[in-house]
Amino acid sequence: MGVVLRNLQKVVPLRRARLRKDIDTLRHILGVQKFDLGIICVDNRKIQQINNTYRKKNIPTDVLSFPFYEDLRPGKLPCPLHRDELNLGDIFLGVEFVMKQCQEQNLDLHGALTVVTAHGICHLLGYRHETEEEWAEMLQRENYILSEYNRLTGRQLEPLMKKCSQDR
Amino acid sequence: MLKSVVRAVGAAVRLCPASASTARALPLSCPALCAPGSATTRPFTRSLWMLSNSGASSGFRPKLFSSKVLSPAVSCGCGGLHTEGDKAFGDFLTDEIKEERKIQKSKTLPKMSGGWELEMNGTEAKLTRSVSGEKISVTFNVNNSIPPNFEEEAEQGQQKPAEDEPEMISTPNFVVEVTKQAAKHSLVFDCHFPEDEVSHGEGEEESDIFAIREVSFQPEGDADWKETSYTLNTDSLDWALYDHLMDFLADRGVDNTFADELMELSTAIEHQEYIRFLEDLQGFVKCH
Repeated sequence: MGVVLRNLQKVVPLRRARLRKDIDTLRHILGVQKFDLGIICVDNRKIQQINNTYRKKNIPTDVLSFPFYEDLRPGKLPCPLHRDELNLGDIFLGVEFVMKQCQEQNLDLHGALTVVTAHGICHLLGYRHETEEEWAEMLQRENYILSEYNRLTGRQLEPLMKKCSQDR
Repeated sequence: MLKSVVRAVGAAVRLCPASASTARALPLSCPALCAPGSATTRPFTRSLWMLSNSGASSGFRPKLFSSKVLSPAVSCGCGGLHTEGDKAFGDFLTDEIKEERKIQKSKTLPKMSGGWELEMNGTEAKLTRSVSGEKISVTFNVNNSIPPNFEEEAEQGQQKPAEDEPEMISTPNFVVEVTKQAAKHSLVFDCHFPEDEVSHGEGEEESDIFAIREVSFQPEGDADWKETSYTLNTDSLDWALYDHLMDFLADRGVDNTFADELMELSTAIEHQEYIRFLEDLQGFVKCH
């Protein structure tokens, strides 16, 4: 199936083709093209609701990941037995939240969405940042993904983990 | 039980596809179950009305009262039959119209942002705008545009407070036509508001606000849908192509904001037409 892209919000004008292309590039870098992935773009109200439901944090945020495989060792790809297990899970992108950050920092929205999505995919692949060790491991992975992305596209994106607080 | 069956029948009648002679408007009629967003809504207040007739599209024939033809009827010399039933019907309609007017948010239709011009032809609405020499038109018909939403109420089996009643939102299929100067054909998108997956409590709907169902080239300004034109169905489409088509529409002002406003407009038009229909019905039932 590939990437299932849904845009459930009307606050941020999105370029769907650009977003899909960037996500496909990330999947290629990580070697996970054969896995399905859901990307759902939502506004602040919606992501706050999901954040509250699943993390008991009643605030909007930039990204929430829901892995299909919950106990993956970071860096190890899942080994599905059936076709319907070729699924990494879903990523909710808080596009309104990301847009506000971009406006404050004068950043390109779709570049920022790529960075945030890379962070979300890392979570789907078992990376965490609850300890210093995990944080360093995840930063290293994000660094690799985005340096490859920059090499392929000529852009200059930086990992989200660099400015990421530990409670994300 | 009877209530739910009757209402289901009423819904089935209302779901009948629009007449085939309807100009390019809506080749398929398959409204969504519920709609997201902030469209102007109003509570479901037509329950009694739906129990009293077999649907707007069937035309009114007072069969229930026809037995009274043989019994003494009141005549006022207008050439029409007047029964006790007609009187009760008229009184009922007076109350119903009053109630509907009460919940009508505004007598004027909401404006679409983005410089769209609205043109009405009966229940069919046409929005048009021009962008750098391109003409974009969006056509929809408010008939059969309110999805049935009876399931939960039927399960409850008891009267709910008015504020908890399901809201009536019109989610019509709509056709977007993009016409370029000097081009023989228009690019035509058949769009709809997808049916959301039923969600309880969490409200985690997963569908886009609107979706493209089909794309084809059609002769410009031609009223009849040309079935012989190749029609791209989006069910099995390369998703990258689908995204480009959505971006193409967004560049021409047809995006999620537009779709949300269209729902609001269509809901207001539908309500206006409903009240007008009730008034016509009242006039027909009553003595002229």
